[in-house]
Amino acid sequence: MNPLLSVQDLHVDAPGEGRSILRGVHLTLDAGETVGVLGTSGSGKTTLALALLNLLPPALRARGRVEFEGHDLRTLNHAALCAVRGRRCAMVFQEPLTALNPRQRVGAQVAEVATAHGEHDAARAMRSAIDLLGRTGLTDPGERAQRFPHQLSGGERQRVLLAMALLLDPALLIADEPTSALDVTVQAQVLQLLREQQRARGMALLLVSHDLGVLATTCRRLLVLHGGRIVEDAPTPQLLAAPVHPHARALVDTVRPAERRA
Amino acid sequence: MAGHTWRRLLADRTARAAAGVLGAAALAAVLAPWIAGYDPTAQPDPVALRLAAPSWQHPFGTDPFSRDVCSRVLHGARISLGVAAGAMLLSVTLGTTLGALAAVLGGWVDGVVSALVDVLIAMPRLLVVIALVATFGALSPWWLVVLIGGSGWLTTARIVRAEVRDHQQREYVTAARALGASRWRIVWRHLLPAVAPQVAVAAALALAAVIPLEAALSFVGLGIQPPLPSWGNILLDGSDYLTTAWWLVVFPMAAITLTVGSALVLADRLRVAIAGEGRPS
Amino acid sequence: MTRRIVVRLLQAAAVLAVVATAVFVLLQFAPGDPFAAALDGTNVPPSVRMEWRARYGFDLPPAERFVRWIGALAHGELGYAASRHRPVADVVADAVPRTLLLVGVALALGFAAGILVGLVQARHHRRWPDRLLGALTLGGVAMPEFLLGLLAMTWLGARWRLFPVAGIASLGDTATWPAWERALDLLWHLALPAVVLAVGVAARVARHQRAALLGVLGEDYIRTARAKGLGEWRVLWHHALPNAIGPVLALLGLALPSLIGGAVLIERIFGWPGMGLTLFDALLARDYPLVLAAVLLATVVAVVARALTDVVAESVAPRRARIP
Repeated sequence: MNPLLSVQDLHVDAPGEGRSILRGVHLTLDAGETVGVLGTSGSGKTTLALALLNLLPPALRARGRVEFEGHDLRTLNHAALCAVRGRRCAMVFQEPLTALNPRQRVGAQVAEVATAHGEHDAARAMRSAIDLLGRTGLTDPGERAQRFPHQLSGGERQRVLLAMALLLDPALLIADEPTSALDVTVQAQVLQLLREQQRARGMALLLVSHDLGVLATTCRRLLVLHGGRIVEDAPTPQLLAAPVHPHARALVDTVRPAERRA
Repeated sequence: MAGHTWRRLLADRTARAAAGVLGAAALAAVLAPWIAGYDPTAQPDPVALRLAAPSWQHPFGTDPFSRDVCSRVLHGARISLGVAAGAMLLSVTLGTTLGALAAVLGGWVDGVVSALVDVLIAMPRLLVVIALVATFGALSPWWLVVLIGGSGWLTTARIVRAEVRDHQQREYVTAARALGASRWRIVWRHLLPAVAPQVAVAAALALAAVIPLEAALSFVGLGIQPPLPSWGNILLDGSDYLTTAWWLVVFPMAAITLTVGSALVLADRLRVAIAGEGRPS
Repeated sequence: MTRRIVVRLLQAAAVLAVVATAVFVLLQFAPGDPFAAALDGTNVPPSVRMEWRARYGFDLPPAERFVRWIGALAHGELGYAASRHRPVADVVADAVPRTLLLVGVALALGFAAGILVGLVQARHHRRWPDRLLGALTLGGVAMPEFLLGLLAMTWLGARWRLFPVAGIASLGDTATWPAWERALDLLWHLALPAVVLAVGVAARVARHQRAALLGVLGEDYIRTARAKGLGEWRVLWHHALPNAIGPVLALLGLALPSLIGGAVLIERIFGWPGMGLTLFDALLARDYPLVLAAVLLATVVAVVARALTDVVAESVAPRRARIP
């Protein structure tokens, strides 16, 4: 069977600054698989996540193949790409406050995914949005849906963002540091929610983080991104037990003492 | 800081082109008596040379009185750009002084200047100038400079006041104060150079505003009076012959649009340079 | 909010007081009066001149005339426009709606077109539509309105006869025409001056709208909208524009004084009988009460509109909590 997502030799350059951010990334991901991308800040994690859906800022140039469900997303025309985004492959971002439109009620922002893809009419889209907001753990979702982003807490905003991504049952969810802007207790809740939804829907998850703890509890397989390349690709237990690349070893070592204590 | 702003501006090709156009216009205005082929008021042959189309002898053609349009536009630049430059300098100087005084002295001075700006900025400038000029009758170019310049200082004052207040909060000013520099020394050596790029933006915008203002006044017969040529009154003369002698209108019109456009572009690029973005937006 | 409105009202009153006083004082320096042309001939005996001037209060000292004028103004009386042989209030009542119509239509057209142009430029940022429209809007700002008006009147009006050259209605017995025909006739006369004024407005609005949109397009929520699979136009229209329209609406108040200035010239070029043309006629006839009323009213319109747009711009300002 073909993999769900297959990235071949992906490069991203910043011509204005004369440097490369990604230098030949290869990765594959099967349907329903959970894969974590581990990288320190500046390793190009966010760039990788954005490059997959062609969402890079205009100052960055990408080359390589990003094959998803048999189409190369890098060469797909814009309309076809829009049909993939949000429906087949969705994304959750790091900073939930700035990732939400400050001038639109959050319910409308979630429902828009369905109406824009022509799945439901406005009323039905709003009903399913409120329903999903409730299932992502928002108390009183009907009332919360009427609020603007700044009237919600950080955890609530991230749940809205997640509901937005899940509304059309995507085959792949890309989550870029979905918990790093949240308080520790809320982090655990959102992560738990992410795991539940992944299992319930059987969707593939590509989780990007600098936090090995977050990835180890969520993903079956881990990739280590360093200097713009994937330097290690192994099932989670194997990577934790015997990292090969020196950088991966260093990352694992930083969390090991805590595990020993536990 | 300010030094980097000027360097970034110099490195900007669009800004250099705009400054070049303005410089060329200024040069043409200064050198008009030497580079214009004819006396702008001379009427060599009102019969044979009436409304002659552009040719090698008369590159911009001639007007109904057989005067050379090219020479008139060049001499008109002297008047139009002279009035504009004078008015711009007056309004920017007034605005910078009042804005800086308001910011530095604060208290009632700030209150009076701010209130004055808030009140006067709502008035239609062209209307006020027209009313004033019409009241006093035909005015000399010097009075035009005073009227146009005196009515344009508001935006400059507002910008300078905000900028100076902003810079007063910064550490280098506190440091200078801690070293015992007097208040006026800080204004002169630190604050004014720091806000100079913003003043330059205001100056470019002021220039872009006063050139059309003078042209409009002269066009309705309230500005520069014939026989002295200005871009506005050349247009007034040409407006009756628009369908038969396009050259009477097209050349002064191009002169106005080019200089105003260059001033606008320069203001835009200055803002970009101040923001510190090297790339064109 | 209430405090701001009160401050605004006080400011507006201050503007009007300043303008009224300044205009009155300045006109004292002006040579001649409305009767100069009619009465200062050789055949009119001095006693008749004195009598006419006394009847309209022109023999009083300036200070007393000023007090009288302000007092009458407080009662809504603007005086008598000798050059029109009508009360100033009547002249103004005819002219003001016409100017408001011209300026209003120009504003509506200009803002609609300018916002659209800004959207197209932001959509095709740094590609040829952006560059072409950028050059056009620069030209639109750089070219004085009266020049555009002159060109439009000469070619579209006089030469090709597509539009009337002057006035507000066709010659002849238009009063007997059916209402819709008169309305069409008015629109036909309004078209050129309104479009000419709108071009300048649109060019300024487009430049601001483009810059505001480009600033917003770098925001995270735009990326979210694209990740949702929205098309570029939907992203611009639903997510970028609502967040980028505030500074452009604020421009409305700032642009109004200059638009009214531009309208004065356009009215003169197209013979549109509004406040601008009235002002020019009154200035030439040295009809002071009319001049005072015209300048005062233009200022009232500018001040009121500015206060209104301030309130509007504030209410559409982005609602956003600070990131702690």
